[in-house]
Amino acid sequence: MKKVKALILKTAGTNCDYETQTAFELCGAAADVVHINSLVEKKNKIFEYDILVFPGGFSYGDDIASGKILANEIKNKLGDKVKKFSLSGKPVIGICNGFQVLVKMGLLPDPELFEQTSTLYYNDSDKFECRWTYFKIEKKIRNESSCIWTKNLPDVITLPVAHGEGKFISINDKLLEELNKNNQIVFRYSTKDGKTPQYPLTPNGSVEQIAGICNTKGNVFGLMPHPERYVLALQHPSREGFDGKYGWGKIILQNAVDFVK
Amino acid sequence: MKATTNCQTIEILSLSDKQLRELSTKNVLSLSLAEMKAVQDYFRKLKRNPTDVEIETIAQTWSEHCKHKTLTGIIDYTEEKGTKKTKRTYNNLLKETIFKATMELNKKWCLSVFKDNAGIIEFDAKNGVAFKVETHNHPSALEPYGGSATGIGGVIRDILGVGLGAKPLANTDVFCFGNPHTKDSQVPEGMRHPKTILKGVVSGVRDYGNKMGIPTVNGAVYFDEGYMANPLVYCGTMGIIPKSKINKKVNSGDLILVVGGRTGRDGIHGATFSSIQLDQECDVNAVQIGNPIVEKKVLDTMLKARDLNLYRAVTDCGAGGLSSAIGELGEKTGALVYLDRVPLKYDGLVPWEIWISEAQERMVFAVHPKNKKRIVALFNKENVEAVFVGKFTKDKKLTLKYDSDVVASIDMFFLHYGIPKPIRPAVYKIKEENVQKPIKMNSASLLKVLKDVLADLNVCSKEWIIRQYDHEVQGQTIVKPLQCNSIEGSGPGDAAVIFPYTVAKGTKKGIVLSNGLNPQYGKINTYKMAANAVEESLRNAVAVGANIEKMSVLDNFCWGNPNNPKILGSLVRAANACYDMSKAFNIPFISGKDSLHNEYCIGTKKYSIPPVLLISAMGVIENVVHTVTMPLKNGGNKIFVLGITRNELGGSVLAKIKNVKGGVVPEVYPKESKEIMERIYKAINSGLVQSCHDCSDGGLVVAISEMAFAGDKGVKIDIDVIKTKGELSVAEILFSESNGRFVVEVNPENEFKFKGIFKDCIFAEVGCVTEDKNVVFESVKNKIKVKEKSKNLLNAWRNTITW
Amino acid sequence: MFEIEIFTKEGFKDSRGEHVLSKISEVEIKGITKVDYASVYIIDGDINKTEAKTIASELLSDKITEKFEISSNSDSKKSKSSVIEVLYKKGVTDTVSESVIKAIKDLGITKEVRVKTGHKYYLHGNISKTVLDKIAVKLLANTLVQEYKIK
Repeated sequence: MKKVKALILKTAGTNCDYETQTAFELCGAAADVVHINSLVEKKNKIFEYDILVFPGGFSYGDDIASGKILANEIKNKLGDKVKKFSLSGKPVIGICNGFQVLVKMGLLPDPELFEQTSTLYYNDSDKFECRWTYFKIEKKIRNESSCIWTKNLPDVITLPVAHGEGKFISINDKLLEELNKNNQIVFRYSTKDGKTPQYPLTPNGSVEQIAGICNTKGNVFGLMPHPERYVLALQHPSREGFDGKYGWGKIILQNAVDFVK
Repeated sequence: MKATTNCQTIEILSLSDKQLRELSTKNVLSLSLAEMKAVQDYFRKLKRNPTDVEIETIAQTWSEHCKHKTLTGIIDYTEEKGTKKTKRTYNNLLKETIFKATMELNKKWCLSVFKDNAGIIEFDAKNGVAFKVETHNHPSALEPYGGSATGIGGVIRDILGVGLGAKPLANTDVFCFGNPHTKDSQVPEGMRHPKTILKGVVSGVRDYGNKMGIPTVNGAVYFDEGYMANPLVYCGTMGIIPKSKINKKVNSGDLILVVGGRTGRDGIHGATFSSIQLDQECDVNAVQIGNPIVEKKVLDTMLKARDLNLYRAVTDCGAGGLSSAIGELGEKTGALVYLDRVPLKYDGLVPWEIWISEAQERMVFAVHPKNKKRIVALFNKENVEAVFVGKFTKDKKLTLKYDSDVVASIDMFFLHYGIPKPIRPAVYKIKEENVQKPIKMNSASLLKVLKDVLADLNVCSKEWIIRQYDHEVQGQTIVKPLQCNSIEGSGPGDAAVIFPYTVAKGTKKGIVLSNGLNPQYGKINTYKMAANAVEESLRNAVAVGANIEKMSVLDNFCWGNPNNPKILGSLVRAANACYDMSKAFNIPFISGKDSLHNEYCIGTKKYSIPPVLLISAMGVIENVVHTVTMPLKNGGNKIFVLGITRNELGGSVLAKIKNVKGGVVPEVYPKESKEIMERIYKAINSGLVQSCHDCSDGGLVVAISEMAFAGDKGVKIDIDVIKTKGELSVAEILFSESNGRFVVEVNPENEFKFKGIFKDCIFAEVGCVTEDKNVVFESVKNKIKVKEKSKNLLNAWRNTITW
Repeated sequence: MFEIEIFTKEGFKDSRGEHVLSKISEVEIKGITKVDYASVYIIDGDINKTEAKTIASELLSDKITEKFEISSNSDSKKSKSSVIEVLYKKGVTDTVSESVIKAIKDLGITKEVRVKTGHKYYLHGNISKTVLDKIAVKLLANTLVQEYKIK
């Protein structure tokens, strides 16, 4: 079997690259952390990889707004390559700051359009918060969504979030309707038993408790929580996990690795 | 050497004592008369006056911040107990107490102690772990946000600059503030409101720590009126380093490379400024603004350069800037520096400003000429500026050039060893401590006091702060600062455990971090305060599963003006306690730092802070699977209290709330507590412990309540069976803050084995965990029964700081 | 020179403005009904109005939630509310400005520019100059490193 290769794109202020790399390795992939400068130098290098990862952190300090400067840079220097990669159907994921980047350059929700149509804005609490919360994957999504990243998950999972700008807002209600219709809203903040939560379980005030979305094809996925921080049961506050050993985050990343295989 | 437009000659040869003093004050040199005279003598021998660059270089190198001249100076100490006086002279307090204990303990696993930017102990066959804690008090008082941010930025650079560079894994932070609920009108003119300071400090640590991608996992916040004017901001960083990268060596001929941020006028006189008491009028330049992203880029790139062996030595630019960094690295060789080559933020800096600027995010490397191109290319590839500014020589001189002029030429030996040793008197009067008058409480008043204690600023939840820190980044925080059974709810964890599985691949080991401090005790007895801090830090670590045979500690003294013999005397006492505890617990100190002169003037009135010794502990855990948290786990489990409760309410939270006069400050009984700690480790490691919590601020009743509400459980406790020394009242049993005690939850299945482990220790089975979520404390003997829903206790605890 | 201000669009929660309002009420200052927050970017250099507009729309503002206003130094703006503007003092490191300069280059505008960043607070209500000073000094600016202007 061939070794699946993941590219973890880093720049100044990226800071979840190391654990994301380790998490992909745990899923059996080979993961390289590649600085944006070397990718800009050799643009086609991107196509040597099977999975493209925009990891968490504070790219360029989140100056101006979270993910904005990196989104601007990628769009202007690597836009066509990233778009081509995404349209090819290979798995692409943006985690936390990576999600902010995907949304702000417009790779989500529609990589074909590649225009910003939604945003991740300041948390209603106006502060950065780090906590664990629940995420619901609706039955309809589990049955019908084409999202390759969220397969094999139960109705409700736990993951940690850590952000100051995670409030999802779409440009208009029509887009929101479409996202719903196309089963693109794969993760919503939730209570333990899958009900609509209050703050702090919904940590930012997102519209319709949106925590993660994918494109219609289901290969490009962005989410605020950090799957790479919960690949081992040990990482959970009370050490829960599946198979006595792993965390839900591992299933998410494993889905992409298995998809490529 | 000549004066140029950029560099002035300072007339010193002809100055009288009075004029020397004036010069020191006027130029913010913070040098004493004896030191000024030593400088004068040196230049008299050279038969010339110094340049401004030279005098500034000496002032930086000799600053309290860099040389720790009080703790390493001569102290004439007198201790008074009643009418009895004992005298002792210390030639170097540090070497004769804290450092001495470490030398005597001589642990093989201590890999680097008291010589580098941080202490290093062994982690596994391949790696060591480094830990350092620093203070940034004065800058945080002036500009809370920038001050605390550069505080955390600075201690992270200490970890980057230890050996050939360690990778930071976790941050810690401990703050002391004035009461944030102080009325605006009661804040003296010219001072910032304690809440404003708190918020600024927390934001600074948050932004810098989060953006560096280092989880802030452990800390404490202490509130006392005494810190209103002069807050204390301690920041710590722990990192991992390959054993092969622990030693650095500078060779003559190595090039000097400055990497990272540019040099500006920020932070000029920070080092000398830290030895001056705060005035309302302060040097604006002493304030620095940090840029975490620049430091993050330096971190990412320098570790690559380290692993490619592209440099032979590194250190950070901290207090004193390039002057200290290059001065230290070149101490044995000499150095030649071209100041005009240092990259600047903006024009207009004169040579001495370039040389001592404390602009942030800079590191200095010693590079073999053969690696010249490769190392610069590596940095530049990720947009990090790296510029060669000179080389290490073999003439043992510090030579600075600007354009083609020599602007400084000083012997390294004089610079590092020419400082005269001051002699300071110190006195300490040991006060007698007496047991307080009996405190009477009935069931109702007891419950009210319990809620008040839980809500007290020094006991209450610090969740508002903790959640703003990304304590999960790097994915290795497996014992977290806030603990619960599912993912909701929270209780205060005793210590944090980092499982560095992304760096040390395949490891089962972890690193435990904890701390201990209690300034309240220090107001009565600084020896006991220090002993308590050591014991508490160990107790906290043991509570999560640490083995005290693999623990090490760091000292951080924050004290008032050491020129006051009483203040210095209280410091001597604390240092002696450190020695005694280190020996008794068999725990080495591996690094430390002091911040003196913490006082503030308003008008003519001087305020000195209540002295604080912060002890930060780090240890290695063999198998992270065998670590436990503090929330109660299951109804039906038994609750044990290990250790004995004494009548020790001096400096306690209860004493503060109920305004109790007198009281005995908790004593440390090392033999007793060490034995319990060793056995808890054994019990946890054998899987016999479901949860464990240490007893500290607020006493037993607080510890048990916290375990209950953190686990969303109930408890039923029989007060009458708790082991006490002598006959104690219910209030004394519940609120006494005696050391060496733990509360442990044990599954009845394991009871027999558990009791076997503790068979010669003092302990008692005091009750059980219940699923009805009621917390019940009962004494049939005293006809007292306190009953409250654990949820209500949780609310009492978590509603004090909610902004 | 262009001054670009970024506001939260109507209909979206201006949490930074609301945060300041709650801080003001905490220190028991009355009479202020609303605070609007704007981030401020002062861009100096040889750029024209079109380029300034590109920078504002493509880079500095969020298309979904924010709007921008551009004024050049010749414009004088009238405002119904009291405005406190906070900028770093000269010589104090302005880290955001360095990022903005980089990002302007990434946009393809290669002309040399200097950037200064800051904050503006539009305070609605009946407020005296003394109170504005108090709000600025106590809550919005640290005069050691920042300067503020009341407009």
